[in-house]
Amino acid sequence: MDNAQHIMTLVSSITIEKPWGIDVPNYFWFTGSSAAAFIISSFAHVFGWKKYKPIAGIALLMAFVLLVAAPLNLVDDLKQPGRIMNFFSYGWENFATSPMKWGVLLLIAYPILIFFEAQALYRPYFVKIAQQSRGLTKMLNTLLAFGNMDLSEKALAKDHKKGYVLGAIGIPLALAVHGYTGYILGAVHANVMWHTPLMPIIFLASAMVSGTGLLILLIPLFQRFLSERKSVDRDMVATLARLLSWFIVADLVMRFLWLTFSLTFANGEKYALYQYFSLHFQDTLWIDYVLCLFVPMIIGFTKLRNIPIVVYFGGLVTAIGVWLFRWNTVIGGQEIPRTTPGFLHYTPHVFGQGSIVSVLSNWGVLFVLICIVLLVFPWDEEMEECYKGAENAK
Amino acid sequence: MSKENSRRNFLKKGLEATAFAMLATTEANAFSSQIPGRDEKDSRHIGQKGKHFVMVLDLRKCIGCQACTSVCKIENEVPEEQFRTFVTETEIGEFPDVRKAFLPQLCNHCDEPACVPVCPTGATFKREDGIVVVDNDVCWGCGYCISACPYDKRYFNKRTQTADKCNFCAQRVDKGLLPACVETCIGGARVFGDINDKNSEVYKLLHNFPSTVLKEAQGTKPQTFYIGLDSRVEELFSTTQSLDDIVKAEEGFKREWEKARGEVENHG
Repeated sequence: MDNAQHIMTLVSSITIEKPWGIDVPNYFWFTGSSAAAFIISSFAHVFGWKKYKPIAGIALLMAFVLLVAAPLNLVDDLKQPGRIMNFFSYGWENFATSPMKWGVLLLIAYPILIFFEAQALYRPYFVKIAQQSRGLTKMLNTLLAFGNMDLSEKALAKDHKKGYVLGAIGIPLALAVHGYTGYILGAVHANVMWHTPLMPIIFLASAMVSGTGLLILLIPLFQRFLSERKSVDRDMVATLARLLSWFIVADLVMRFLWLTFSLTFANGEKYALYQYFSLHFQDTLWIDYVLCLFVPMIIGFTKLRNIPIVVYFGGLVTAIGVWLFRWNTVIGGQEIPRTTPGFLHYTPHVFGQGSIVSVLSNWGVLFVLICIVLLVFPWDEEMEECYKGAENAK
Repeated sequence: MSKENSRRNFLKKGLEATAFAMLATTEANAFSSQIPGRDEKDSRHIGQKGKHFVMVLDLRKCIGCQACTSVCKIENEVPEEQFRTFVTETEIGEFPDVRKAFLPQLCNHCDEPACVPVCPTGATFKREDGIVVVDNDVCWGCGYCISACPYDKRYFNKRTQTADKCNFCAQRVDKGLLPACVETCIGGARVFGDINDKNSEVYKLLHNFPSTVLKEAQGTKPQTFYIGLDSRVEELFSTTQSLDDIVKAEEGFKREWEKARGEVENHG
């Protein structure tokens, strides 16, 4: 208990707990960015937008790794992580009313679905590699092709159809896997900041922003340094920058609706919320809104989107900005008083469970997972073939 | 038999064997979604059927002595700096027309608790006698119930690392004793009993005096009732000043204590 909280306990109330720490905004950011990456990959795989075809594969893989790393944050946030089985064994009577319960089904189903979709997409490449190699590589690639070495037109059409169907099922699943996290907060009627039915939608809108921002940073990095082409597709960067701007518009509309209603037309709780935003007015306005939303929006909507370095800056600040928004919502919401005569503060520990280091470790896990999928999946060949296909079509 | 058929048969048999093994090794009650204590009808989990326990806090009699606070910590082995119950002290009015006001607070044992339906492990639940409890052998410490409680009456117990809160001293009540805070309350401000019993003190108090609950608008139907609650005391919950001043003052407090300790040492 920090000193301020101790004083609070003395003057006012019983133990005041802020149960959710830095792990939770990080988890929300991971799932949100994963959902966004999946939706962007579905632009090509489900809606057939050819423009996005070259990055659809890598976006799908990023969706996968983000979602595999994300739940580790939750395990770290638990006080009794050793009792994780209790979650599966008991408490199903609360299924209808505990969004956390829905999360477990989504968190299991969604990465499995992405894996099978990626497998369908890359199977022909696994087969080719298996045919050209020997030993362990051959074995691994045969395994990843699920032993199906057929490269006939019919078999490829079947793969394509499988990818399409899984992608189509995956869209609502991706929306749900992040939407439910907003639902978790929105369902808490004790918390004046969280309690709005808009919360899942706000989360989805800002997730599209952070996910696109992340892809804007990662895809050029992969193309420039890890792929055969060794150069960045500048048109793609501009396309993503423009897409990002539209997602920012959606995000701003949602936040406008949320804040105008909850600060003006709500019941008595609006005073606490008003006070919270007054306390944090300068940083929220200049960092959250101007720097991390308006600036990247302008970049994407103007000719600035043709200058890659400017777009990378836009991608970086949106990704950071949405992380801050998750922080401000999860932590900020808990700082608003319920039975205390004033605001509380939360400072994460540097080491230990639920600390800055544990979140950094989670990013380390993400980095390792990215390395693994980039090594195992022939994303480069697939991307190159898409570019060739697009050129031939011209 | 064709190759495909034999593969299919193999898979089929494998599945059957797995299903059989799973069924054979699982007890029948494992299919119930409830925690073991409730399945086994453990009396600590079921409570006293037919009764409905409530607490009445008669603020006309509370003098803010914190006897309830301290006895609760002893009875329930509540760790240092953590509390299941506490009496908030405040001053209302403006000088010279001021007076002290006290607000004893504890879990409200709501009829429609916000904490119970969100629990993903079913570790917290309402007994048949209305007492909301936590099974700390099951709780996995996710903190959703703590977030959900509009009254801030739950916390992570430092010793058990699980969600903890007032349980109306169910361990005493089930043996026919009163909750420790009620037993020790010197002014008789805390009254506990079965509201279904028309001869009980709580029944009489609630039917003879106007009473109220905290944060009624939350819709949780608290079962901890207050007599003589001044709305100005409740406003304490909706004040919005920043605590920065208190944090600054905290430095002052520290120095005060150091001085006090120093004096003690000097005298010794």
